[in-house]
Amino acid sequence: MAQFNLPQNSKIEVGKYFKDKTNSKNLRKVNVYRWDPSDGKNPRVDTFEVDMDNCGPKVLDILIKIKNEIDPSVTFRRSCAHGVCGSCAMNIEGINTLACIKSHTDIKGDLNIYPLPHLRVIKDLIGDLSTLYKQYESIQPWLKVGHTGKEKEEIKQSQKDREKLDGYYECILCACCSTSCPSYWWNGDKYLGPAVLLQAYRWINDSRDNDKQERLKKVADELKLYRCHTIMNCTNSCPKGLNPAKAIGSIKKMLATS
Amino acid sequence: MEYKNNPLSPHLQIYRWHVSSLLSITHRIVGVINIIALTLICFWTMFLLLGENNYELFYFFLNSFFGKFLIIFLCWSFSFHILNEVRHLFWDLGYGFDLKIAKITGILTFFGSFILTILFYLIGKNIF
Repeated sequence: MAQFNLPQNSKIEVGKYFKDKTNSKNLRKVNVYRWDPSDGKNPRVDTFEVDMDNCGPKVLDILIKIKNEIDPSVTFRRSCAHGVCGSCAMNIEGINTLACIKSHTDIKGDLNIYPLPHLRVIKDLIGDLSTLYKQYESIQPWLKVGHTGKEKEEIKQSQKDREKLDGYYECILCACCSTSCPSYWWNGDKYLGPAVLLQAYRWINDSRDNDKQERLKKVADELKLYRCHTIMNCTNSCPKGLNPAKAIGSIKKMLATS
Repeated sequence: MEYKNNPLSPHLQIYRWHVSSLLSITHRIVGVINIIALTLICFWTMFLLLGENNYELFYFFLNSFFGKFLIIFLCWSFSFHILNEVRHLFWDLGYGFDLKIAKITGILTFFGSFILTILFYLIGKNIF
């Protein structure tokens, strides 16, 4: 049975309030989820007053500004800062997205920033994604060609076959979709989740791959695939505008018709 | 590294509702209600078999304010389930996954369920 409440050690408490010291008139309150593994306390939400006159347009700019100027202990992942690496995936205003491409000017009122939902928190905004990576490994995300004696030759793909991968190869595995999915929250250890299933579909759909039937067989499972109930939180959250729900639907359809 | 004892990040508590997720959870709840409703309908037919005196008991219950409310509510729950299931059938055929279309069909399902309820009610009242 799914547990809808947070466990006792995860209940969120009211945190510190960081008052503005710059005397800026254009202030914005930013609430950030904090948890420090070293002090043994419950997670808390700290509030920062941020001077918006000297801040970039993205949510990531705010976080970097807080880390540089207010509290250097704020912890989050980031790398490329333009939506390519997927490191800064987090929950902003109730929707999972990449902090580096989310504009804070779109959001009215206080800004609420939480880590990706239903993950074990490592520190502050960083969640543990190792289960997801294991599941990703389980679908064998590499090209399988079998022993044809032509391994050293280039495998050609027509333009039409290549187009079948559009909308799937762009996935950057930021985990926004998987961690937005209630099915994945309750059955994350067994259900593969939208991100991994989209990747599975990407390999099933690749004309150069010779292992399509095996791949389909492996994923056709009551728990691994059919826990998807088309809630569509995944598609709603994908920062790259992809459609995991459609990918999962396509796998189901392939299984029903093959 | 194992993080089993680390706190769990908030999920239901903070995640924003979308049309699609709201309809999905309603679909589930309504599905359970419909199973209970079917049991009720079974009892109804059973009382029919038991004869006039026994049926009267049920008849009074259904004619009370609460009974009428219940029947209209069940008309809605069936309407909603039927329409949303049609939506699911189209998804199974591979159509309607586009975000905009899914949202529009969701809203249509929601309002359609009320229109269908009114239609059921009027048909039941022999208006047509």
